Amino acid sequence: MSYSTFSPSNHDATREPMFFGRSVNVARYDKQKYPIFEKLIEKQLSFFWRPEEVDLTNDRKDFMDMPEHEKHIFLSNLKYQTLLDSVQGRSPNVAFLPVVSLPELETWFETWAFSETIHSRSYTHIIRNIVTEPSEVFDHIVTNPEIIKRAEAVTRLYDEFIQLVNIYGVHGAGVHMIDGERYDATLYNLKKRLYLTLVSVNVLEAIRFYVSFACSFAFAERALMEGNAKIIKLIARDEALHLTGTQHMLNLMAAGADDPDFKQIAAECEEQVYAIFREAAEQEKDWAEYLFSEGSMIGLNARILGDYVEYITNVRMKALGLTEIFPQRQNPLPWMNGWLVSDNVQVAPQEAEISSYLVGQIDNEVDTDDFDGFDL
Amino acid sequence: MSGIPRIKVNNYHTFYYQYEFSLLDALEAQNIPAPYSCRGGYCGCCKVKLIEGQVDYIQESLVDLKEDEILTCCCRPQSHIEIELPDD
Repeated sequence: MSYSTFSPSNHDATREPMFFGRSVNVARYDKQKYPIFEKLIEKQLSFFWRPEEVDLTNDRKDFMDMPEHEKHIFLSNLKYQTLLDSVQGRSPNVAFLPVVSLPELETWFETWAFSETIHSRSYTHIIRNIVTEPSEVFDHIVTNPEIIKRAEAVTRLYDEFIQLVNIYGVHGAGVHMIDGERYDATLYNLKKRLYLTLVSVNVLEAIRFYVSFACSFAFAERALMEGNAKIIKLIARDEALHLTGTQHMLNLMAAGADDPDFKQIAAECEEQVYAIFREAAEQEKDWAEYLFSEGSMIGLNARILGDYVEYITNVRMKALGLTEIFPQRQNPLPWMNGWLVSDNVQVAPQEAEISSYLVGQIDNEVDTDDFDGFDL
Repeated sequence: MSGIPRIKVNNYHTFYYQYEFSLLDALEAQNIPAPYSCRGGYCGCCKVKLIEGQVDYIQESLVDLKEDEILTCCCRPQSHIEIELPDD
């Protein structure tokens, strides 16, 4: 079934499944099958920020004074995050837009991916500010074996799914032989690959990012690289929202009301889902070892960070109704919470970035009793 | 409902709501270790079970919730309530 950018069909999109129904035609949001995606879009838009808003002059000084092993920790994390957001800035669009059937979900994908491009731009902003030759950092991303190893795990499911969708777009649903290779582009297999890809995206946003976040915040707890931490705080806020979006999709799929095939797929793939979580947690623990291979930093070492990976993996698995794979423990980095809160305290919006501040929001409802407190 | 809402928490004491910004703030004011992370209604960490009573929403919950679940950062008590914190 080839993709059509605007088919004149007058079907009711609210009766379509999330994926692999008819292509979205009119981008309308007056009727929605899942209003939650519209709410996520609104929240994401209210989060809008620009990296240039954050001043990094002190970070440059802090970075120059750092011992070599701390520079290694800082730059390695930045490189890894650059890789993750390079993937996330494009892949949700390339992979999911051709097969999505609901306008609000389509727009959520686009809004989501757009915010990832802001993250990518902010890494350039940070790197430009702390080193004189940014190329030395960026060029290393595709040559560092530790990063390459994880890039493969991050992108494998995306790439396989995108390839199958391309085959499906040209040849239609079914099993196809192309250049002597067999491709199972049946709808059922496409859905299965989609489900697994979403799980791996969930793992990317729910676990993989958090190792880097922990290091950035650990520096800032010592009043170092505070501009960087401010940016990472904004990135973490976005990532938590994206994560909620992916969890919604996965839970809707597993419930089966949207498309009964997915209920069966979720049950069938359970073992693979556990394997994806386990692989990611192990890789992140290895990464922690690599980060601290030249020396630890105050307040953080490979073991504590490894414990944190296990803790956060458990939390994320529980959110999807899965059984935890690591022993239960308290949060080993309780101070992280201070960095992960969004600012919902009511202060003047110009004084701070407030996540709940929506531009142009005015309460127009005035009742006679609103003036009860006034005396002349 | 008349009077000040009373909040009953499993494994902890029962107390009267002091009109804090959110139920989460009310729990924290009582030194009850209620879980939280984003305080913005989207991470889901502060999810608890609402056993009895009603709550008012002060901000939108964006997390997938079952019928008897609430996010403490998003609401405040409207009547006497009873809640159950998660085990861990």
